[in-house]
Order: sequence, then structure tokens, then C-alpha cells
Amino acid sequence: MLIFLLSPFFLQSQEKFTLSGTVTDQLSNETLIGVNIIIPELQTGTITNEYGFYSITLPEGSYEIQISYLGYKTISETLILKEAITKNYKLEEAAESLDEVVITDDIERLDIKKPQMSVNSLSIKTIKNMPVVLGEVDVIKSITLLPGVTNAGEGSSGFNVRGGAADQNLILLDEATIFNSSHLFGFFSVFNPDAIKDIKLYKGGIPSKYGGRISSVLDIYQKEGNSKSFHMNGGIGLISSRLLAEGPIKKDKGSFLIGGRSSYAHLFLPLFDLDNVAYFYDVNTKLSYNINENNNIYLSGYFGRDVFKFSDTFENTFGNSVVNFRWNHLFSDKLFSNLSLIYSDYYYGLQLSFVGFDWDSSIKNFNLKYDFKHYINNNFKLEYGLNSMYYKFNPGDIKPINDNSGINPYKLIDKYAFENAVYIDAEHKISDKLSVSYGARLSMFHRLGQDELNVYENDNPLIFNETFGIYEKADPIGTETFSKSDVIESFANLEPRLAIAYQLNDKSSVKASYNRMSQYLHLLSNTSSPTPLDVWSPSGKYIKPQLLDQVAIGYFRTFNNNAYSLEVESFYKTIKNRIDYIDGADLIANDAIEQVILNGEGRAYGLEVLLKKNKGKFTGWLAYTLSKSEQRTQGRTAIETGINNGEWYNTPYDKTHDISLTGSYELNKKWSFSSNLIFQTGQPTTFPNGQYQYNDIIIPNYEARNSSRLPSYHRLDVAVNYNPNPESTKNFKGEWVFGIYNIYNRKNAASISFSENRNTGNNEATRLAIFGIVPSFSYNFKF
Amino acid sequence: MKKIIYIVCFLGLFTTCEDVIDVDLNTTEPKLVIEASINYFKNTLGNNQTVKLTLSAPFFDDAIPPATGATVQISDPFGNIFNFIETDNTGIYLTDTFIPVIGETYQLEITYNSELYTATETLTSVVPIDYVEQNNEGGFSGEDIELKAYYTDPIGIENYYFFEFISDIPVVPTLNVYDDTFTDGNEIFGFYTEEDLESGDVVTIRNYGSSSQFYDFMFILLQQGSDSSGGPFETQPATIRGNCINTTNPDNFPYGYFRLSEVDELVYTVE
Repeated sequence: MLIFLLSPFFLQSQEKFTLSGTVTDQLSNETLIGVNIIIPELQTGTITNEYGFYSITLPEGSYEIQISYLGYKTISETLILKEAITKNYKLEEAAESLDEVVITDDIERLDIKKPQMSVNSLSIKTIKNMPVVLGEVDVIKSITLLPGVTNAGEGSSGFNVRGGAADQNLILLDEATIFNSSHLFGFFSVFNPDAIKDIKLYKGGIPSKYGGRISSVLDIYQKEGNSKSFHMNGGIGLISSRLLAEGPIKKDKGSFLIGGRSSYAHLFLPLFDLDNVAYFYDVNTKLSYNINENNNIYLSGYFGRDVFKFSDTFENTFGNSVVNFRWNHLFSDKLFSNLSLIYSDYYYGLQLSFVGFDWDSSIKNFNLKYDFKHYINNNFKLEYGLNSMYYKFNPGDIKPINDNSGINPYKLIDKYAFENAVYIDAEHKISDKLSVSYGARLSMFHRLGQDELNVYENDNPLIFNETFGIYEKADPIGTETFSKSDVIESFANLEPRLAIAYQLNDKSSVKASYNRMSQYLHLLSNTSSPTPLDVWSPSGKYIKPQLLDQVAIGYFRTFNNNAYSLEVESFYKTIKNRIDYIDGADLIANDAIEQVILNGEGRAYGLEVLLKKNKGKFTGWLAYTLSKSEQRTQGRTAIETGINNGEWYNTPYDKTHDISLTGSYELNKKWSFSSNLIFQTGQPTTFPNGQYQYNDIIIPNYEARNSSRLPSYHRLDVAVNYNPNPESTKNFKGEWVFGIYNIYNRKNAASISFSENRNTGNNEATRLAIFGIVPSFSYNFKF
Repeated sequence: MKKIIYIVCFLGLFTTCEDVIDVDLNTTEPKLVIEASINYFKNTLGNNQTVKLTLSAPFFDDAIPPATGATVQISDPFGNIFNFIETDNTGIYLTDTFIPVIGETYQLEITYNSELYTATETLTSVVPIDYVEQNNEGGFSGEDIELKAYYTDPIGIENYYFFEFISDIPVVPTLNVYDDTFTDGNEIFGFYTEEDLESGDVVTIRNYGSSSQFYDFMFILLQQGSDSSGGPFETQPATIRGNCINTTNPDNFPYGYFRLSEVDELVYTVE
């Protein structure tokens, strides 16, 4: 292994020099992520990182360099390399339609060469072109159109990747962790599309830079802001409107960006004499400053809130706040570093005036990351770094609203934890055909002391009652008290990551990957889809960290001079220590979660196909996923039944078939059309297999968990973009988007509930369909 | 779930719809359902008591079949045995000799289809309903009538309450269970709201003393019996086990519960 690792250092004979720099947009100085820097002569190249930086080391000589990026004009120039060169490129946006963009073959070929697999990137441009419900452009709804990504139905929070739960996705906004990605209980996501530059979703073969969640990583970068001139853009839609301003603080050196978004339908409610309020808003801000060639600093922030209020009886507020300071520093032209200091806070508050009840909960998180990218030579690149996070969990603070309230103050015990990790990843090109990346992450988790920790007889907080065949809470026999500097429980996991790519020929390659991941935080939720009220809980004495092992293999090829690409992947993963909840577990304001949970396991496997058309007037993709996602919780002893009789059962997001067809057609400069067609197997659900009467009410008796399914889900959406003045030379540009969601008005069941009709007394099955046909329009502008 | 959908509907633009549909459901063998509810109303002797036995049925069946021909008896710790006699194949078994003693533990024995079912439970006391407060601007619309039936929780001990609101308008009774985790020792209320309630309607309010086991049972039962189950924000439904067991054939366990409660009743006329 050591020789393998060191071999790239010994292979150098000829003198080599490094070409490095940053690639930016010519008009805005916005750095560009994933730009291809290609040396056709040597059949080699590199891409810019998340901060627009690139570095490539070549033997002395004269080369043709091509710098290309989707949507921009390619730069091609000849460089004579006889010393280290710093060269910053400014790309000019191809103002015309996509089909005029010249993209050389090499980009895709580089892509198929790279060992990284199971990753999907979407440009914000693509996302903005998709038809969406109510015309609200939505990052998370867009990624569910990719293979292997789904969610637990319309109007459910979060997303599910390769059969994983919604709390197993690491969602990063400018490197900061976002704990809840939804507005309005999942109808919209918290990301303002105008402020976003780039998104990347890792479903497998996850680099060791990332950790802490086991299913996927959604890495989102915000724009820096235009450091050349002041601009504004925005949009007016049915639900929300957006406005974003950006401009220089100091020309070519520093920039600011501030974007806001708010829903406003509630403003009209007083007209209908309704005291109820439901709205959300969010603010994205960023300051960027280029100190000198080797140093850049960024200060970014996000603040979002949802507010629901009903006629003074009920008020609910929740949202994320994030502040993030980053410092990019070049130690040399081969060593790039980024230091991030992040504070994030997720808040949930609930006020029930009619019971005089006020509830607050939050997670506070301090996060330090120091990441290095070391471009050692053309065939060998290292990424290493460290990450340290401190958490404070406030699971709930209950207070009476006033003196008349019948509620006693009650504080659920605060929890504290400290998570640390170090990692190293190597990307190693062994031959022209074979590339590997290998590395590992060592993660450590310390559950710190808290005021009171329950102690149980035999350390068993959950007793099995053999007579009734049910689990029951054990009564604590006492409590232990710790100081906050004590470590109650520690975990350490070594998480190896490995990926291999073998290029079969110019156009195709096969890849394989393995990754182990660990997750120390658990979202306590026994509903089909997470709700904002769900509380995160750290691992500790009674909750073990979740461990995942995933293998994936894939075949990748391009056709027809890159006009088409095909990706076929298959994955298999197992999850240890997936917690599951005993029947009827009540998680709300529960200070002793250990009394209602058992340790279970999960597994998922599937096949994903993605066929894309990348060029021409018509672009789009067909994504198909065939998969299975299950979980099981067996009894701890032979007598115990476990959960669901210890049998495997489908997760709520298990969808056997999931097909999406997404396309857009650019008729001319004024008009373009886009469409989605989606078909999914109905979600697993639990139906009654009988009824009985007790105390004059009808009780449906339910079958085993998730053993039935809702009817199949399908719909067709269309959208039209109209640009009235594409040739306009004025600064102000406007554009209309008209859309129809679910055009054939399919009543897709979000749920089917079974109950007695309160008036007729007959039992009924009631289907809830959230979105029928929904027309929408929005107007976007920039100047 | 429904509530959340309604909340979101307040954006005014959603096309959410609910309709009744046909669904093919699986069925299982019928099971015995035991409704052995001993209600000891304050200021009564409590001699007359009823045990109701029914069978579970396919979900869409209109009728709930009675379980007839069973022998039903309850015994107390003093050696008394109270036999419950069925009236006319109705599945309703009656006695007029029951002797309720608060805090004592009783045993239920039912023989049905040659299988013996048993249960043990304690007669639990309850505090009285002090008064009722009426609010005419409640509910989701701000126009519904709400009733709060106040009681005072005894301090320092764990208490559980089972409330029943029966109105004389044709609607299913409203059932609620409460514990005193956040309200220990305080004056607190049972809550009732009914859309069609009007001035002059009569509501019978009952507060039943409950054990912790009954509270747990009823909590899950109400969660699943309500019309909101099955949505993405609902908990996983499951078979609910009460405190009755089948000693002959444990796998053929019964549904229902053997409950003994002191009860306070207040009849309220809506103002």
C-alpha cells in the first residue's frame, strides 16, 4: 500500500511545472465550478474546484490549453510552460442558445475516466427550466427526477436517496449543515434558486471529505455576487416572490449578495376575514473578498422561517439560521486550502394558547472544517482535512403562557455532543485506462455529560411483556448526573472509501465503488415522512450510531459525439443500528426515547438507468430506477417478537419502479417548452384488515406494517418560457413562465385513510389528493 | 395530516381534494372484542354493570356481529363472584349484584367458543368535574362552540383521565385521554368541540378514572380510530393489545379492554 501510495512521486524524470489559477465569469467575476481545463495533446486535464481553483502540473513545453464550460464560450490558447504559471481565465457566457455552445469531446471523456460515480450535478439553469408545481422553482423537487432519488409523496418533507431515510442526507449550503430542508411542511424547499450557483448530489462512492450522514450528500454552493457591477434579479410567482441584489464592495475585489424570498398569499387572507396566517420567508447573504492572489474570504448567511398561526389559538414557527465564515488560502500553486467556521441553528417553536402551552426546541451547532486539496502531480491528487463539530440539543422547553395556564414548566434535558473527523482521499491515475480513488475517514463521536441520565435495571429501558406480546417502558431505577466536560459514551469508526474506473474505450467505462459511512445523529420520527416537530437525538448509551456499507457498480458511455450519454448503475447497501419505534410510541416531548425504541437494520438494492440527451434544441433525460428498500427489527431474545414480528418490511419510500422523463425544447429565442412525465409504483402503506367496535367508536384493525400500497402515482407537467425581447440590448430583461402541473388532473393519492363517516356511520376509505391540475405563471426579471 | 393540509390550503391556491374511493382490503379471521367497562358513577351503588362482547368483522361490513353464548364472570378479592347473564343473544351480558370498591383489583373470566379469556385490573378513582367553560369563537373557523370541562389534578401522583363527551345531536361521541405529565397538581380541562353544536344542545360529559395501562391502550386506539390516520405525518398503525389474554390459545388474542373506573358525570346544556 505504501509503495502504491508513494509510486507517483518516483515516476518523475523530466522537469515539471505547475499551471494554476481561478476561472471566473467575465461579466460578474463569479467563480465557476467544474470548468474543464484540457490539454488535448497530452490527453489530460483537470476541473476547477468548488471555489473555481485549478492546478495542473505538466512537463516543460508548449501546449494548447482549452477551457470549456457548459453555457460559456470555450477559450483555446497556447501556453509555453517553462516555469510555474498562475493564470486566471475569464469565460464569456454564450449569450445565444445552448446549441451554439461548443463543447469538446474531452469533457465527457474526462468524466468517464474519473473514478467518482453515483453523482449527479444539476445546473441551476436546468432546474429553472423544469415545470414545477405552482411555478415555484425547487431544488429538491428537481433532484427527485434523477434516478435513485424519490420522496415519501407530494407534500412530504425531504427526499430519499437509494432507499435511505430523509434524515440520512447530508445537506450542505456553502459547507454548512442544514437540518430541515423544507418550507410549508415539505411543499417547497428552503433554497432560493436565484442565490444558488451549483448543486451536486452524491448517492454513492461518497468521498471521505463528507461524513455524518449515511445515504447521500447534497452539496449546494451559493453565488458570490457580482464584483464588477450592481445587478438585481427577481421573480413574481403565485406563491412567493424573490428579489436578489448583488454588486461590488470594491470593484474586482469584493462583492456582496443579498437575496430574499417570501410567500405572500397570506396577505390576502384578511380580505376574507380569516385570522389564519401561513407564510415563509428566507434571506441569503454573502460577502466575498479577494485579499490577494492567495487569499479569499467569504462570509455567508442564511435565515429562514415558516410561520403558521390560527386565530390566536395556535402558532408555529420553525426554520434554520446559518452563519459561515470561510477563508481560501493557497499555500502553493499545488496546495489549496479552505477553512470554514460555521454556526448553525435549527429552531422549532409551538404555542397553543387554548391550553396555555409554549414549546421551544433547537439544535445549535458549531462547526470547524479545514480542507486541503493537494495537486501533487497529474496522476495523483490528495484531499485531506479535519472536521470538528459541537452540538447542543434542546429537545424541548415547555412553559405556561400565562398565570392562568394549567401547564407546569417542564424542561426536557439538554444534550451535548462533540463530533470529530479526519480524512484523506487520494485520486490516483494508475494508467491511461485505470483510475482509482481511495481513502478513509476516521470519525469520532463523544456524547458529553448532561444533567440527568436515566439508569435502568440491567441497562434495559424497554421490557418485553410476554403475556401480551408487547413492549413496555421500564421505569428508571435512578438517574446519573454528569458535568458537561464528562464523556458519557464514545464511538469511533473508520470509514473506508474506494472507487475504481476502468476505461473500456474512448466512449465508455466501467466503475465500481465501496463506501462505509457512519451517522451519529438520529431524527426521531415514527411518521411516514419527517415533520418539523421531529427532534434530532445524538447517539449515546442507548442509541448506537448507524453504519452503512454500500457497493455500487456502473457502466457509463457516451454516444454520437456526446450528444447522448448513458449511465447504468446498480447498488446494494446495508444499514446497521437503524432505530425503529415500538407500536404506538409517543415521541412528542418524550424525555426517555430509549423506552420506545429498538435497534433494527435496513437494506436497499436497485438498478438505475439514466439516458441523457445533452445537445441540440431538444435536451433532457429519461431516468428509471428499479429498487427495493426494507427494514427489520428483530427481538433481542428468542422470546421477543421484535417490531412487525421481526419480519422485513417496506420502508415508506420503497418504490419498485420510478420513471421520470424530463425534456425541454427550444423552439426559438422567444419560446421554449419543457415537460416532465413521471410514473412511480404506489408507496407502501398500512391498510386495515378488519374493524371492531369499542366504546361506540369504530376501530380499524391494521395489517402488518406497510404491506399494502397506494395506487400508482403518475402525472404530466408542461411549461412554456416566453422571452418577449431576446434581442433587446437594454439592460432590463424579463421572461414569462407559464406552467401546468398534473395536466390530466390525475388524483394521485397522498394517503388513504379509513374511518367511520361521522354522519352516516358507514365505514369509508378516503383518498387525499394534494395537487390536481395546477396552472401557474411567474415573471422573472433581471437588470 | 388533514390539519396540515388545511393549513397549507390557506395559501388559497391548492387544489387539494378528498374523495371516497373503493379499496380492496385483506381480511382475517374474526376475533373476540371485549368491552368490559365497569363504571362506578359517583353517588350511585354501582350494582348494575354490563359487559359487551362482539366480534371483529371485515372493514366495510355494515354490522358488527355480537359474540353470543359466552359465560362471563368477574371476581373480587373478597371471594365474591359476579355472574353476567346475556340478554337474548345480543352479546350484552348484565349483572345487578356488582360491588365496586375503589382501589381493589378484579379478575375477569370469559369462556367463549371453548376458549378461556382472562384479565385483571384495578378500580381507579377520579376527581370530579368542577365546572364547564363555553367559548363560542373556537375551532378552525373561529365560529365553533368549544367546551372545557375543568377538574383539579391531585398533586404528586401520576393520574390518567378518560373523557367522554356525548351530545344529543347525531354524532359519534368524542373520546379523549389525558395524563398529568405537564399539568401535575393544576386545574386543567377536558376539551370538546363539535362543528354542529348549537345553543340548547345537551352534552353529557364523563370523566373516568384510568390506569396507566388503559391510558396507553386508549392513546393508541384513538390515534388509529380517528379519521386522520394513514397520512405522511401519522404514526405507523399497528394492532392494539389491551389487557385481556386468551389463555387457551394465546395467538387468538382478543381486542378490547377490561376497565374499572369511578366516573363523574356532568350534563351540560349549551348556552
